[in-house]
Amino acid sequence: MNDPVLELISPGLGASLQDHGRRGWKRFGVPPGGALDDHAACWANLLVGNPLHTPVLELLLHGAVLRVLRPLTVSITGAALIPDAEGLWRTFDLEEDDEVAVPPPESGVWTYLAVRGGFLASRWFGSVSVFPRGGLGSALTARSLLHQAPHAPPHSPPHIGRRWVDPTEQRNYAHPPALRVWPGPQWDLFPEAARDRFFSQPWRISSRSDRTGYRLDGNPLSVSSVPLPSEPVLPGSIQLPPDGVPIVTQRDGPTVGGYPKIGVVDPADLSWLVQCRPGQEIRFIPATCPPLPATRPS
Amino acid sequence: MSLRVDPFGPNAVLVRFAARGELDAFTRCQALLRYLEQHPPVGLIESTPGMTTLLLEFEPGHCPQPEFLGAILADAARLDPDPLAQPRTVEVPVVYDGQDLDAVAARTGLPVSRCVELHAAVTYRVQILGFCPGFPYLSGLDRRLHVPRLDTPRTRVPAGSVAIGGEHTGIYPVSTAGGWNLIGRTDLRLLDPEAALADRRDAFTLHPGDLVRFVPVRHLRDQSAPPPS
Repeated sequence: MNDPVLELISPGLGASLQDHGRRGWKRFGVPPGGALDDHAACWANLLVGNPLHTPVLELLLHGAVLRVLRPLTVSITGAALIPDAEGLWRTFDLEEDDEVAVPPPESGVWTYLAVRGGFLASRWFGSVSVFPRGGLGSALTARSLLHQAPHAPPHSPPHIGRRWVDPTEQRNYAHPPALRVWPGPQWDLFPEAARDRFFSQPWRISSRSDRTGYRLDGNPLSVSSVPLPSEPVLPGSIQLPPDGVPIVTQRDGPTVGGYPKIGVVDPADLSWLVQCRPGQEIRFIPATCPPLPATRPS
Repeated sequence: MSLRVDPFGPNAVLVRFAARGELDAFTRCQALLRYLEQHPPVGLIESTPGMTTLLLEFEPGHCPQPEFLGAILADAARLDPDPLAQPRTVEVPVVYDGQDLDAVAARTGLPVSRCVELHAAVTYRVQILGFCPGFPYLSGLDRRLHVPRLDTPRTRVPAGSVAIGGEHTGIYPVSTAGGWNLIGRTDLRLLDPEAALADRRDAFTLHPGDLVRFVPVRHLRDQSAPPPS
């Protein structure tokens, strides 16, 4: 492997390399993985001229500190705004021995850092996203060294180090829109009152949320207690365990589950949800229904 | 055979099929998977089986009309089992000393020794892999051992735990949170990280369709090297 470009002095509250996740391994029980907020991760890549799904560094909240090991252009998007970025998602030219410290974001949870060509790391079933519990890689820790993938000469403007993103693409995570929800496989099993309540009440992100799932606090919904045969789950699936407190499955979550699913958050809106903090309020609205019902050959 | 295809968000459909028992469900599901492997629709990126369901995920904008898929798949599900598929039998050594064994015995009204006997008497089939990497849902569990999952899942179940939950028994390949009743442990490794680096399917010791027998033992061969946790 080539020389490292960055040293993680501290992972802060959490640091991992993420790409678009893996495909084709879910049937073996392997979750997709990948950047939770793909909107911000894609912009980090676009800023440095990478294909959208190139591996980036995903940082949880604040506290991460990086030391630059050789001159380098990086982009930073997502929750944290770096002090001299003039409030923009943008790129920076960094010199050897510079330090990048991720400040506490005013809003949002996840910050993304990309380098030209992307980070080079082992791929587990095709993705750099690690699954440490299963021995598929280990989490980044203090002193972890990050390597840059070889890349072609830039086709981009000479001042790539000062590129910025149209501010209308930058999100104010303090004010998410109402999130669109499609009916889930057990939509019909929920009484109408429960379905109405799901959409009419505000929910708060629970502190028991992570890359496997976001729990929602609010008035619990009534749930049928009949166990379901285990069924495949999608990221964004809204599952209701017997306590009636919804769990929105995320990209490291279980691939199958036996809890009824009232709905699924639209993939485009999931990137808003993951940036909401514990205690932050969110609302759901019904997505426009696709045509129903499906074929029923005898 | 009745089959139903419903949208599951904008980019996926959930196929639900009726089945007469678990072997029939397995056969139908494998027929659907085989058909989709031989005739893949454009943009199909994941086919994930459940017990009587199959989730098909597509690239954004590529999800076919559910009605159209339903008509095609209803024919495919009638296909016969693959005549070339010869199931393998895998023997799993187990020390039956799980921390929920007494509770299982109490729940079933059977002595612990009888619970063990019943669990080890059956040849199980790997129905699906799911939940976490390489976790086998094994079908064939004796009715007398059907006990509900724990009300509150454990935050950490050690890798190698042999457990029962509802109609199934399974083995935790990795240390993870879990709600099944722990009845024993094995040192059989179900997931090989080295093979995962090379994208090889043999990273998983067990595959759907494999037959599994649990062999009660007093000690596991390699006490010094427990499965990774």
